[in-house]
Amino acid sequence: MPTAPVGLTLDRTGSAGAGGGGLDRAGRAHWHARANAVVLGYLALAGLALVLHAQLPMPRWLAVHLLLLGAVTNAIVTWSEHFAVALLRAPAPSRRRSAARLAVLNLAVVGVLAGVSLEHAGLVAAASVLLGLVVAEHTGTLLVRAHRSLPGRFGRTVRFYVAAGVALLVGATLGALVATGALGHETHEALHAAHVHANLLGWVGLTVLGTLFTLWPTVLHTRMVDGVMRAAMWCLALTTAGLAVAVVGFVLDQRPVAIVGLAGYAAGLAMALRPFVATWRRKRPYDLASWSLAAATGWLLAIVLADLVLLARSADLATYLERLDELVPPMLVGFVGQVLLGALSYLLPVVLGRGPVGARAAARALARAWPARVGALNLGVVLIALPLPDPFPRLGWALVLAALTGFVALAVPVLLAGRKPAPTPTSTAESVTVTHSPTTDSHPPVATPPPAAAASRRRNPALIGLVIGAVMTLIPVGIALSGDAGSGGPATVVASEATQEVPVTLVNMDIRPGVIEVAAGTRLRLVVTNQDAMRHDVAFPDGPKTRLLAKGQSQTLDLGVVTADLSGWCTVPGHKAAGMTLDIKVTGGSAPAANGSAGTSGSMPGMNHGAHGNGSASASEPSVTTVDVHGKPGPGWTPYDATLAPAPGGTVHKITVRASEKDMEVAPGVRQRMWTFNGTVPAPTLRGQVGDVFEVTLVNDASMGHGIDFHAGSLAPDVPMRTIDPGESLVYRFRADFAGAWLYHCSTMPMLAHIGNGMYGAIIIDPPGLPKVDREYVLVSAEQYLGPQGGIADMAKLRANAWDTAVFNGYPDQYVHAPLTARVGERVRFWVVAAGPIEGTALHIVGAQFDTVYKEGAYLLRAGNADRGAAQVLDLAPAQGGFVETVFPEAGHYPLMDHDMRRGENGAHGVVEVTP
Amino acid sequence: MLGTWSLVRFLHVVSAMIWVGGQLTITAMVLPVVRRKLAGPAMLPVMTGVGRRFGKFTVTVFLPLQVGTGVLLAWHKGVTWSSLSDPGYGRTLAAKLVAFALVMLAAGGHGWARGSGHPVLARSLAIGSLIGSLAIVLLATALPVS
Repeated sequence: MPTAPVGLTLDRTGSAGAGGGGLDRAGRAHWHARANAVVLGYLALAGLALVLHAQLPMPRWLAVHLLLLGAVTNAIVTWSEHFAVALLRAPAPSRRRSAARLAVLNLAVVGVLAGVSLEHAGLVAAASVLLGLVVAEHTGTLLVRAHRSLPGRFGRTVRFYVAAGVALLVGATLGALVATGALGHETHEALHAAHVHANLLGWVGLTVLGTLFTLWPTVLHTRMVDGVMRAAMWCLALTTAGLAVAVVGFVLDQRPVAIVGLAGYAAGLAMALRPFVATWRRKRPYDLASWSLAAATGWLLAIVLADLVLLARSADLATYLERLDELVPPMLVGFVGQVLLGALSYLLPVVLGRGPVGARAAARALARAWPARVGALNLGVVLIALPLPDPFPRLGWALVLAALTGFVALAVPVLLAGRKPAPTPTSTAESVTVTHSPTTDSHPPVATPPPAAAASRRRNPALIGLVIGAVMTLIPVGIALSGDAGSGGPATVVASEATQEVPVTLVNMDIRPGVIEVAAGTRLRLVVTNQDAMRHDVAFPDGPKTRLLAKGQSQTLDLGVVTADLSGWCTVPGHKAAGMTLDIKVTGGSAPAANGSAGTSGSMPGMNHGAHGNGSASASEPSVTTVDVHGKPGPGWTPYDATLAPAPGGTVHKITVRASEKDMEVAPGVRQRMWTFNGTVPAPTLRGQVGDVFEVTLVNDASMGHGIDFHAGSLAPDVPMRTIDPGESLVYRFRADFAGAWLYHCSTMPMLAHIGNGMYGAIIIDPPGLPKVDREYVLVSAEQYLGPQGGIADMAKLRANAWDTAVFNGYPDQYVHAPLTARVGERVRFWVVAAGPIEGTALHIVGAQFDTVYKEGAYLLRAGNADRGAAQVLDLAPAQGGFVETVFPEAGHYPLMDHDMRRGENGAHGVVEVTP
Repeated sequence: MLGTWSLVRFLHVVSAMIWVGGQLTITAMVLPVVRRKLAGPAMLPVMTGVGRRFGKFTVTVFLPLQVGTGVLLAWHKGVTWSSLSDPGYGRTLAAKLVAFALVMLAAGGHGWARGSGHPVLARSLAIGSLIGSLAIVLLATALPVS
């Protein structure tokens, strides 16, 4: 059964509208009015998500996907079919089939939006499959249509739509993998980058590029320049191949491959630019549609180049991914949003307006105040894209929102008009979209509608007033709802309704609010947002847990119906102890105590269970590690070499320090997961001369944030001592202007935990004219606060200074097991740095006297001094350093120890074996 | 409890009520009828007269009363400039002040446009001002109970 009259859907000037006539055009107008109303609806929702961002579970994700998956995907499916039919001069598609496709598409879109918002992996997967099926059907239909149609001049641009459809299939699959976390945490960011590129540069970018070859001259009302199709085919080959390579590069985490791919894509863009610019030179943009398309193309080019530069300049993919997010908003607004607005403001009048008069009236309606709107949008994008301080990006978003609101408000009446039954068409001649009459440069005379109607249509005060009022409402409401961070937040939030959603902010190593009171039986949802530079999570024992949130990320935790007190905390090591805890307190009714397995820390100060005399030990500690301080090291243990080599030559020392975690034996029978610099505790000793420059590259190979602080240099700590996330690196450059035995250590809070867990070392800058001696040793003193076997340092012990052992160079009694050596009559220099984190040291060598003592940059004693003085102890507070020298008088075993006997007899002990 | 401060709050709310209600009455009730019934030259003086009278009320009664009681209430509540950026009460109040400033600009713009012969702009601004006023009321109701 033939379903549609065979005729050209897009009329060309004159007679080509065979069999079309008014009826077909009216039907088309009705169809486009409905399909594009859906697009506008998603646009409006995206704007709303921007305004209400503080109230939504995943505001950024939701706004992005309402725009791209909602508005843009609907527009692409609708318009690529429309253009394909026109370009291929194919028969009109079955409206019923198109409508069914859109219906299923939107079912899938809503499914994805709901699934991700509700964190329902099954729904996300099912909706993604559905989305893939719809797009595959759509792309397949285009392919079949292209295959069947006669070879036309511009028909080959339909291949862009096919390539775009394939890109979306890949991109949507990647997106579903990211959203459901199916491939685990490690691949998350690589897949995310691939997803962003496949969808933005592929699904959206290729569709737009393919359309621009014909739409751009059409919008400008000029002819196509020569060689368009050649450029188009080159563009298609380069962009699709480049994009494919880039996506593979991202997925495989291969930065150079991704760079090559992106460069290919950029080259393809350059091919597309040639006819674009040539057309521009023939006829300049002059209205809303042409300027919007021109500006959008500019943004696409700028952002692809910025993307390429960012990727090329990032040390690795992880660093790049951290900053990729900054490119997405200008891309979405400047390119995607603007192309959509520009194309719709040209196309809607053409397909909806009945006859040239109606089309022009609709175009005029959409073009109200267009220079201001285009200006506002692009100024907004500039403010968003540039790294400006706070009020400017916000102003940028307000401008973007105003432009968006303006468009939606103007387009709604046009669409409503398009749904009404058509008046008798006055003319079938209409100059539309693809091809053109030779006389295109001359504008048709402006029709003059009846004056009264014109006046009321052109400037409807009610409508303008509505827009003014809407903007005046949205701006203040946006301010009122903006950001929940800040200092003034209440310490306790009282929640009382049946279902309660409470915003929770992670900031400054703190969870705010720290206490949430709810009535028993309340269903509690926490919207957790991390405003801290460091990554955090929030976890409840035997309950839900957020993923590790980077700065600005949010996640909603559903605690279910709360009947008993609960405690949650950040599980990043040390953060709970630093105060990142959150207590849910049940009020009203009989609040039963949490059951034992919930592991709540005793909430009432007086109710300490257990009989610790020293009330500091945490009740929640699973196991207590006992240590045999003087026991034998396990097999395979090697002592830390205390021998200090002379400073290497040269005045510039380039050093790479890698922060990493390592399981090691730290005391007899005790293994701990240490946090290390370069895999040893203490970290390798660095040495140089006064005036030397140290260029240290810190690479974070660990699973949490770390930083570094060199006491041997003087500089503003803000940048070099900042905490970097896993996978990042930084360069810390300083000149050692002063001599001394200096400490270096991790600069990330809580440092008590980071130093206590092994991130410390010595850096020695020789005093000028330091005499050469026979032997030099370096001893870094510290304490151990052992956590459970295989675990990390016990934070409660650290805070109580309840150390288990004291050590030189990381292991108790280390140099009892592997004595230091010297010969009779040799001058031996012992460098000492006290790493702490809490205790200092009082170094003494039994049977020896120190004739030279250097402490904190000054000689206290020199050999052969006039007073015949000598010293017995080098005493150092935490982080101080110095050296002593002695000459052993005869062969024997000289104990080397901390003369604070608590430490000296609990591990800070060694032997110097002196032979003749 | 009725007291001095409830009186101040009463004045603040009542004058806002009268101003928003007055706008609504004029824009949505009076003027459409005037426009329909008094087509031609008779319409203009009526509209101008109503606008002038309402403008006079705004400047002489409404604005001083609203700003005065508003400042008093803020002082009583312990609002400081820096607290305006705090989330919750501070930011909602700041948003309300922004909305108020925008509405006053729109209302002032309306008067100017009416006087200098831009009737369409004047009507647009009047409608915008009315909607914006509702936004102020919305934000006022969102302020936590003081």
